[in-house]
Amino acid sequence: MSVRAFRSMRPAAAVAALVTGILALSGCGGSSLSQSGDTQSSGPVKIGLLVPLSGVYAQLGQDMRDGFKLYLDQHGGKLGGHTVDVVTADEGEGPQTGVPAAQKLVNQDHVSAVAGVVNSATALGLRDFFDESKVPLLVANAGADDITGARKSLYVWRTSFANGKVAGALGPTVVKEASGPVYLIAADYAAGREMVAGFRKTFVAAGGKVAGEEYSPFGKTQDYQPFLSKIRTSGAKAVFAFYAGAEAVSFVKQYQQFGLADRIPLYGTGFLTEGGALAAQGKAAVGVKTSLHYSTELNTPRNTEFVAAYSKAYSKSPTVYAVQAYDTAAVLDKALAKASGGEKLATALTGVGPIDSPRGRWSFDADHDAQQQYYLREVRAGSGDTFVNAVVGDLS
Amino acid sequence: MAAYLVSVLNGLAMGSLLFAIALGLSLVFGMMDVLNLAHGAIYLAGAYLAVALLPGDDVGMGTFVLAVLAAAAVGAILGGVLAGLTRATPGHLDQALLTLGVSLVVAELLSVAFGEEVHAIAAPAPFDGGVPVLGETYPAYRLLVIGFGAVLAVAVYLLIERSRFGSLIRATVADRAMVSALGINTGLVLTGVFAAGAALAAAGGVLAGPILGAQPGLDEKVLLLALVVVVIGGLGSVRGALLGAVLIGQVQALGTSLLPEYASFLIFVAMALVLLLRPAGLLPPRTAVRT
Repeated sequence: MSVRAFRSMRPAAAVAALVTGILALSGCGGSSLSQSGDTQSSGPVKIGLLVPLSGVYAQLGQDMRDGFKLYLDQHGGKLGGHTVDVVTADEGEGPQTGVPAAQKLVNQDHVSAVAGVVNSATALGLRDFFDESKVPLLVANAGADDITGARKSLYVWRTSFANGKVAGALGPTVVKEASGPVYLIAADYAAGREMVAGFRKTFVAAGGKVAGEEYSPFGKTQDYQPFLSKIRTSGAKAVFAFYAGAEAVSFVKQYQQFGLADRIPLYGTGFLTEGGALAAQGKAAVGVKTSLHYSTELNTPRNTEFVAAYSKAYSKSPTVYAVQAYDTAAVLDKALAKASGGEKLATALTGVGPIDSPRGRWSFDADHDAQQQYYLREVRAGSGDTFVNAVVGDLS
Repeated sequence: MAAYLVSVLNGLAMGSLLFAIALGLSLVFGMMDVLNLAHGAIYLAGAYLAVALLPGDDVGMGTFVLAVLAAAAVGAILGGVLAGLTRATPGHLDQALLTLGVSLVVAELLSVAFGEEVHAIAAPAPFDGGVPVLGETYPAYRLLVIGFGAVLAVAVYLLIERSRFGSLIRATVADRAMVSALGINTGLVLTGVFAAGAALAAAGGVLAGPILGAQPGLDEKVLLLALVVVVIGGLGSVRGALLGAVLIGQVQALGTSLLPEYASFLIFVAMALVLLLRPAGLLPPRTAVRT
């Protein structure tokens, strides 16, 4: 606070400000006191960006950082009228790196809010910390069902998706399109099991039959032949799969190499054929149908403009991860216009209303989760040597 | 039943790759007592070389063979450098730290150069499709890999067990001091074997490319598998490396189809069993008489 600001104050206000300052010095107050909810304030705010910059998720983290930065660049580096100072921290591969990084952002850098988090275990581990620190956490990818919903906190919001919902959106469609029982397969970890459970719930409810269910060891399976042979002998007429990243590449390629792609249609959540994975799968992925809340091929003016801006800035196509981070910045833009930190900022998140996103309009539901349209996508050859997730319909 | 037979076939393909990769590790360990933790990184360098040399979905057999040879050359150079470095470093712990450091540096340089994303490598042209095997479609490339594994096994057997140079290598494994007392430059033998082993690992990276691709972190997975093969087969033993590789290939493929719920620890169960029953490995090299 500048000297001139003090001089212009009435004496009572100046005393109050002094007391506030002393409180802050003695450790009773937080950094939020100096900027508590003043709508006129346009001082800089610090936003923590917690994304993986190393390890298996580094590519996702890069996309998210690019998406977040694009929104800032498009809005003159300001969110809600405040100049934004983005403090980036490396989430790493799991909670053992992600949790300390988040604590550093809150305790040392005194950020007003934290955006990001790819790993579900990290997000689950951070829930209580953010709830107690009274700093908002905007989860921009981690999909575990329990991050929002039953254990929701005023300080934890999700701009991305819940595993069960993105998989569940596909259930009724597969019942309609498949000519018989469906085989379920996923990587053996929390997200894989939540995806399969979410799919099974809506699929069985719509009258679908399960031909078999198998989980492959997560992060240790390079060869899917034993699983693919099982699928073939099970008599399944379609397959629902959840894999992401390197495993998605191996699974989809081998699905084609072992001759299943021609006979048994493959369905999955969009992560199966997203971003770098699709580029590596190439023509092996053609015909794979997935559910997701975004595709670069969405034919809306908002998305066309976004894809053009993103491609121009980073000379690559955007991914769902970039959009999620981009939208997180949009949410913060709206909320920071009303309050710049602490409980008031968290309350402001309740009233941000619909977000006009490249993925379509969405808003937070009562569970603090993104209420959004899911799309049915199919991999098709794009221009030149590339492949894209064409949007073939709306889900749910 | 047919599904299990296909799994057996697949285990042979994985075993062939593992044999190519683990052989160098085993011989270097047996001869020089050096645990080369950079072996996985050399493999990964080969895989990324394939990414650089074989872009796109259409790869001819000629360019593929060239890529294998180029990787072998790069691997041999890396192996030669590592041999020099480890020979200048006495002590097991120092050597382990040195090779671990080299592997971290190489892996990081590769991820700086090629990015963090996963790269796929296409199989060469006549082998990029599937062939019917027992009523199932089987990728033709994996049959090629099995063929390569068989040729490599025979060639290495002839070289190590039947040639003069092979007897020199076996003698160096058995008793290095005695061989050097006979006036043979064991340093040269060691460097040669180190370079040849690394060349095989890098060539293995190209050969495994169409199956495993190239990505950060693959080096550690491959190193771990190769170490398991070496431990099961017996340090410094060619026949042991072959047996271990085929066994691990089968445990991974057939084991996973029979007991999918235990797939992630089957290899380690196999290793623990071997260590309990035959602590020196299944086929340890014949060592010098110690009395």
